[in-house]
Amino acid sequence: MLNALIRKFTGHKSSRETAKKRLQFALVYDQLEVNDETLTNLQNDIVEVISKYFEIDRSSLQLEVKKGSDTSALVFNTPILCVRRNRA
Amino acid sequence: MEGRIIVVTSGKGGVGKTTATASIGAALALEGNRVAVVDMDIGLRNLDVVLGLENRIVFNIVDVINDRCTVRQAAIRDRRIENLFLIPASQSDNKDVLTPTGVNRIASLLKKEFDYIIMDSPAGIERGFENSVTAADEALVICTPDVSSVRDADRVIGLLYARSITPKLIVNRIMPAMVAKGDMLSHEDVMEVLSIELAGLVPMDDQVVISTNTGVPLVMRNESKAGQAFRRIARRLNGEADLPIEVPGAKTGLWNRFTHKFGLKK
Repeated sequence: MLNALIRKFTGHKSSRETAKKRLQFALVYDQLEVNDETLTNLQNDIVEVISKYFEIDRSSLQLEVKKGSDTSALVFNTPILCVRRNRA
Repeated sequence: MEGRIIVVTSGKGGVGKTTATASIGAALALEGNRVAVVDMDIGLRNLDVVLGLENRIVFNIVDVINDRCTVRQAAIRDRRIENLFLIPASQSDNKDVLTPTGVNRIASLLKKEFDYIIMDSPAGIERGFENSVTAADEALVICTPDVSSVRDADRVIGLLYARSITPKLIVNRIMPAMVAKGDMLSHEDVMEVLSIELAGLVPMDDQVVISTNTGVPLVMRNESKAGQAFRRIARRLNGEADLPIEVPGAKTGLWNRFTHKFGLKK
């Protein structure tokens, strides 16, 4: 109780609060983790769809999950060689 | 009527799964139910020693699956608590000798014989976990108030949801004095982080060590606070859903109310 009072006036965080914050962040990060198999499957599917419209360089494409402090993004990078003009 | 299969699981090892299984199983039997506690930790069995039944093992769960004996032959009857039975794990095999198909087959046999079947899952989320949850109707996830245990509990809860099981949580080894000092996660913190319903709260208790030393079930020791907590969890499972959850060591003294009011304590 006295510790709580001291912390209140000195602005120090209790180890309990630290633990809770760390846990919350860890769980968010854990949920964003994608396994390699899923990522490879996703990449193959994306390549297939894009290939219908563009000719792309399959050897130099990149797919990754970028994590920011509060958001996360799926980034797909591919050089376009040319647009397929006469699609069936 | 068919029995209920409840799996006790945690992800992390050493948080009290076996003690919880033994205690809840024994408590349900004391309430008058026919109970089987099943050790699913093939190769690392321990439920037998916790219950003090280690020198009465003849057959085990692998024998049942391989048709070397019947469920009744493998079930060891506890001589102190009426209607409590143990189905031990095999100590010489490894976890791969069991398959979900095999477990489901004995599960349906057990459901005909018992009111409650409590499965003690091994640590981890691999084959042993799969085998333990495959036939489960309900799940109890157990964790201690520390970062690593809560994180593993979150993972296990996710896996149970994926199998359409909505688990309930037991927070074990709560040290009220440390929580009050702000040096341990409170059960509210854990519930908020995991967003899950509570089955019960169990305080840290020296009696658990003594109970394991002697092989006398915790719930038979009236002086054990953890034992009492497990008995309340069992009563809640057994139809008394509204039995209030007691917070270990919670005081409602003047000073506590005062500090709470001024936001010094949550």
